Amino acid sequence: MSEAQAKSPYQSADPDRWLDDHGDYLFKYAVFRLRDNNVAEDAVQETFLAALKAYQGFEGRGSERTWLVGILKHKIIDHFRRIGREAQLGDESDDGPEHQEFFARVDEWQGHWNTDRAPTDWHATPAELMERSDFWKVFNDCLSPLPQRTVSAFTLREVEDRKSEEICEMLSIKVNNLWVMLHRARLHLRNCLEVNWFKPEQ
Amino acid sequence: MALKLYDKLKHAVRYWLLRTLPTCQQTVATISESMERPLPTSETIKLKLHLWICVWCQWYLEHLKLIRDTSRAQAAAAPEQMTGATLSNEARERIRRRLTNQN
Repeated sequence: MSEAQAKSPYQSADPDRWLDDHGDYLFKYAVFRLRDNNVAEDAVQETFLAALKAYQGFEGRGSERTWLVGILKHKIIDHFRRIGREAQLGDESDDGPEHQEFFARVDEWQGHWNTDRAPTDWHATPAELMERSDFWKVFNDCLSPLPQRTVSAFTLREVEDRKSEEICEMLSIKVNNLWVMLHRARLHLRNCLEVNWFKPEQ
Repeated sequence: MALKLYDKLKHAVRYWLLRTLPTCQQTVATISESMERPLPTSETIKLKLHLWICVWCQWYLEHLKLIRDTSRAQAAAAPEQMTGATLSNEARERIRRRLTNQN
């Protein structure tokens, strides 16, 4: 089989059809990880542009969609690397709030939960939460006040299931620094979800 | 009578442990770290003891796991099944124009 035949069934790049067939799919994939419509739109655009350039490299092996998602994954990682670089150049030292106010400051119970900020029983499962699109809206709103690098570390770890060493390399940080960021993000997000989503009866 | 004594003793042990072990503020940092690497044995014991007597930190750990499990399950789900935003018409047209110019 010649090279040209191997490229079938797609004889030539067809960006118009790509956009119709895969635009929404790629956008949803991107926006869940990047948490911002504009950034996700840019990632989808860059994916199609890169796909157009690299079309010769796609020889019709596997599905077109899998190929495009592969390119998009790289664009998403590029975005996280950029955030890491910018934070490093800007000498960014903010890892996120410490939330001292969650814990008692005085008396013998210093350092233990303040009763009005202590966790409550959520009675929730992943399956229930995933069905609710408004849950992800609250989730993203809760992460939005945190420094971008901290949110990137959180997403790479909790969504993408990346290893510590990989994340440290991508964001140009040390592992102790990563642990602080993850802790701050979790502390903040957990409380924010409790207040804004699970809303315990006071 | 014996029951009362048992309750008193349990209370005393609980109180002593809470005063001796790392605080909740220190424990939540350890809980987070325990999701990143295996803890040294002494830390593991302190964490287990703290969780044994503190339902708040038990829930904290449960919630962090729920957040992780839900995020990863959603990431593994097919994007078609995700509800919520699709590519806006403006963005679609902008990308279409950009791609046409490149072609």
